[in-house]
Amino acid sequence: MAKVLTTCIYCGCGCGLYLISDRMKLIGAYPSQNHPVSKGCLCVKGWNSYEFVNNLQRLKKPLIKKNGKLQTVTWDKAIDRVARKFKEINKKHGPDALGFLSSAKTTNEENYLAMKLARAVFKTNNVDHCARLCHASTVAGLTAAFGSGAMTNSIEEFENAEVILVTGSDTTEQHPLIGSRIINAIDKGTTLIVIDPRKIELAKHAAIYAQPRFGADVAWINGMMNVIISEGLDAKEYIRERTEGYEELKELVKDYSLEYVEKIAGIPKDKLIDAARIYARAKKAMIVYTMGITQHTTGVDNVKSLANLAMLTGHVGFESTGVNPLRGQNNVQGACDVGALPDVYSGYQPVTNASIRKKFESAWGVKNLPDKAGLTVTEIIKSAGEGKIRGLYIIGENPVLSDPDSNQVRACLEKIEFLVVQDIFLSETAEYADVVLPAASYAEKDGTFTNTERRVQRIRKVINPPGQARADWQIICEVAERCGYKGMNYSRPSEIMDEIASVTPMYAGISYDRLEPFGLQWPCSTKEHPGTKFLHKDRFSKGKGTFSPRPYIPPNELPDEEYNFILSTGRTYWHWHTGTMTRRTSTLDREVPTAYVEIHPNDAQGLGIKKDDMLRVSSRRGRIELKARITEKSQEGSVFIPFHFKEAAANVLTNPAIDPIAKIPEYKVCAVKIEKL
Amino acid sequence: MKSALINKSDIRLLLKEASREWNIYAPLEVQGGDVNFCCLPKENIKEALNRVTLDDKWIPVPPKDLFFPQLESLFEIKKNKIEETVEYSKKLLFGIKACDYQGILFSDEFFKRTFQDNYYLSRTKDRLVIIKSCLTPPRQNACFCTSAKTGPFLDKDFDIQLVDIGEAYLVEIGSKRGEDFILKYKRFFKLCSNSEVDKALTVKEKAVDSIELKIDFSRAVELMKGKEPPEEIYKKIAQRCIHCGGCIYVCPTCTCFNVFDDKENEAMIRYRNWDTCVFEGFTREASGFNPRETKWLRASRRYEHKLWYDYKTTGKSGCVGCGRCLTSCPVELGMSKFIQEITA
Repeated sequence: MAKVLTTCIYCGCGCGLYLISDRMKLIGAYPSQNHPVSKGCLCVKGWNSYEFVNNLQRLKKPLIKKNGKLQTVTWDKAIDRVARKFKEINKKHGPDALGFLSSAKTTNEENYLAMKLARAVFKTNNVDHCARLCHASTVAGLTAAFGSGAMTNSIEEFENAEVILVTGSDTTEQHPLIGSRIINAIDKGTTLIVIDPRKIELAKHAAIYAQPRFGADVAWINGMMNVIISEGLDAKEYIRERTEGYEELKELVKDYSLEYVEKIAGIPKDKLIDAARIYARAKKAMIVYTMGITQHTTGVDNVKSLANLAMLTGHVGFESTGVNPLRGQNNVQGACDVGALPDVYSGYQPVTNASIRKKFESAWGVKNLPDKAGLTVTEIIKSAGEGKIRGLYIIGENPVLSDPDSNQVRACLEKIEFLVVQDIFLSETAEYADVVLPAASYAEKDGTFTNTERRVQRIRKVINPPGQARADWQIICEVAERCGYKGMNYSRPSEIMDEIASVTPMYAGISYDRLEPFGLQWPCSTKEHPGTKFLHKDRFSKGKGTFSPRPYIPPNELPDEEYNFILSTGRTYWHWHTGTMTRRTSTLDREVPTAYVEIHPNDAQGLGIKKDDMLRVSSRRGRIELKARITEKSQEGSVFIPFHFKEAAANVLTNPAIDPIAKIPEYKVCAVKIEKL
Repeated sequence: MKSALINKSDIRLLLKEASREWNIYAPLEVQGGDVNFCCLPKENIKEALNRVTLDDKWIPVPPKDLFFPQLESLFEIKKNKIEETVEYSKKLLFGIKACDYQGILFSDEFFKRTFQDNYYLSRTKDRLVIIKSCLTPPRQNACFCTSAKTGPFLDKDFDIQLVDIGEAYLVEIGSKRGEDFILKYKRFFKLCSNSEVDKALTVKEKAVDSIELKIDFSRAVELMKGKEPPEEIYKKIAQRCIHCGGCIYVCPTCTCFNVFDDKENEAMIRYRNWDTCVFEGFTREASGFNPRETKWLRASRRYEHKLWYDYKTTGKSGCVGCGRCLTSCPVELGMSKFIQEITA
């Protein structure tokens, strides 16, 4: 029996946990007592983070599709096929006929190699990952405002905040070890403000809970800023010294009167005034937000507006004071940091900058790295349908269930000439693959994840992968080598991290020996640098913080007479994304064994719906059938469906309309109709 | 009671010697000051022995998983053949705290009360426990063994108990098994004098005094026997609880499990794993009906069980006062807080 310290595979909290193994099987998981995030606790997913690894359905051998069926082949044949086809498509149709989807579930090292494979070996910037679907708005919005798109504070700082404003985040369900800190903070005197269209658990703990309409975020945030400016609660000295663009902001928000905001967002005047005063007057105030803010066609506007609010009140750049996008996946922060994005290399260094390109050309021993930003996840799938992307390499992602408008995604994947899927299970997406490569899980390899507070921390090999499965980094290196590239020869992941550190200023001081025991928080610029607890101290990363006043724009698809309900989608506490892991974990799967739709009691009564009745929910894009769950968590006139379940996939219904800058889809609002079956 | 002495510096030598015959489980310092109860690897025993901690360190999960693992395979079917997976080995548990040992004894009883659970009992068959009792509580604000009357020292029902008297441990021998062990490894032990026994008494008194958290355990039990505590108390707990299951996973006497199958083609494994009564699926019936449908009804179950049902069925409480339910709770709930609330 061995107990090995590693990092949880689920959310961005990045809890430290011990995996327990016995004779090459995992038999348990439990928290690290001294880890700064877990502190002896875990959520239910952390406690159950080991079981799926043992599952008999794990992919154990490479597969190639022959006569429409996936058949077992040797690694040699599989890698050969991938290399040959990708080279052939590259030669025939050019590098941009290839696309690479990397994964926020895999390590920093593997994401770095995925983008290196795309850029150095195939000369395309068409590389992206699921951050596109969650925090692309944050990366764009906060980078424009502050110069860095990450959580500005650390998790331990929540407990000392005077005010916490939570919006668009069901924190206790999605980031349980942060949600619980917020609850504990209230005991110690913190005032909690929750502004969320869903009456989430935290609403019950809040001093002020306001329930805005879906997609009205810019309106209420502008309204709050209007109150703050008109009551003279803005941080004048801070604004003068540390920001730019204040006058334009002032000009815009004056149109957002309390009456106007109440009309758009449905928040009563008094509540908005109270929230504005409490937030503005606090010395230490933290904003917490997630997908409720980002997954809109106005995602970037929403993020910029929150950044405006924080800067207006001087609430960025101090301890327990800042803007905190909580990253969803275990390594979505890291996958972005190391450049699995179409427009930047590692450390957010733009591909359009010639001297940066030169640096990577020399580090990688290649010439002519592509100088235009590549396609995003949403664009890659769409282009595949249009025949522009002909070869697609998907690592650990399952767009059939995770991307909006599933039927359209399936149609696009059908059209791809050559699809490679590298995963630990045969996902719904893998069924479309020409080659399936069996990967190692997080318990079967070494590497690092970066959590939501920018903490780069180790994962460790506990057991061997099943059958012939291999670590993603090994597979990627083999593909590169087979394509004739000599620059991806590593004997262990620490060597990849050393390379990342050598080309990435914010990771420059990071190496495996320094990550013991509980990691380092970037920016970490030298081998002596102790890491950074909170960002933008004294000055913003970009110099002056920039106010970007944004007007309210309604969601892309609102209810009408036929499709008369708003659908919002998201996760439940018990499951993870497309369910490949959690639906193979007995405790979690038993708790929520199948899909459901949450509906407000008044709406249920109006439609004669009782608990567990089967409903058909339809949008303009498709329909699904699932059980009713009656709850006041849903706002009247809206329903909520978690997107984990293939038998009733919420994304059959969702709207693929995207934010013009971040290209993130509007998962949080579309119009549906409901029928009782 | 028979007693002996062992020099502190001889503890590691004793364990090294004993490791030839026994699988040794002891508190090991691992990364970042964490201490976990681990099996000392025989192939690298010297390095592991250096990491054995003799201090009163906090161990987040009790050693119940040595006999009742978080996940265990009961049997496997391979090519139409059934293979049962029953574990047996000689286990020496070193450095267990008194509260945790009480937990082990309680679970032992449970697994043979109604039927003989061979998967559990086989693991316990050849077991020797050396208790190293706490001089100071590992978690000052959480430990309440003196209130639960489970520690920090035991008077009976143990094999061997070590009392830290400075340079040496006073070795109290509480069973035939314990005595046999001391005889077998007698070169590490010395006779003890009355003055050392007296010294141990003083140490014990001081250790008892060091536990500051005092709760009215017996009154709580009386209250729970008489009538249900107000619903509001449970409702408040339910509103805070984030359903991690931690309090139950770390409880030395929580033994509920679920059974499930993992199947693929011809292969099948039947597993059991730790379960918890805060989960909705725990009491949900096949029809979909759930007698504990609401969160607060589920939140109440653990308290009812430990403070009422266990007494009714065994005459003892399942709560051993280790305080882990509090320290593993992300929102700072726990048995001591519940008792404080109902007895306030």
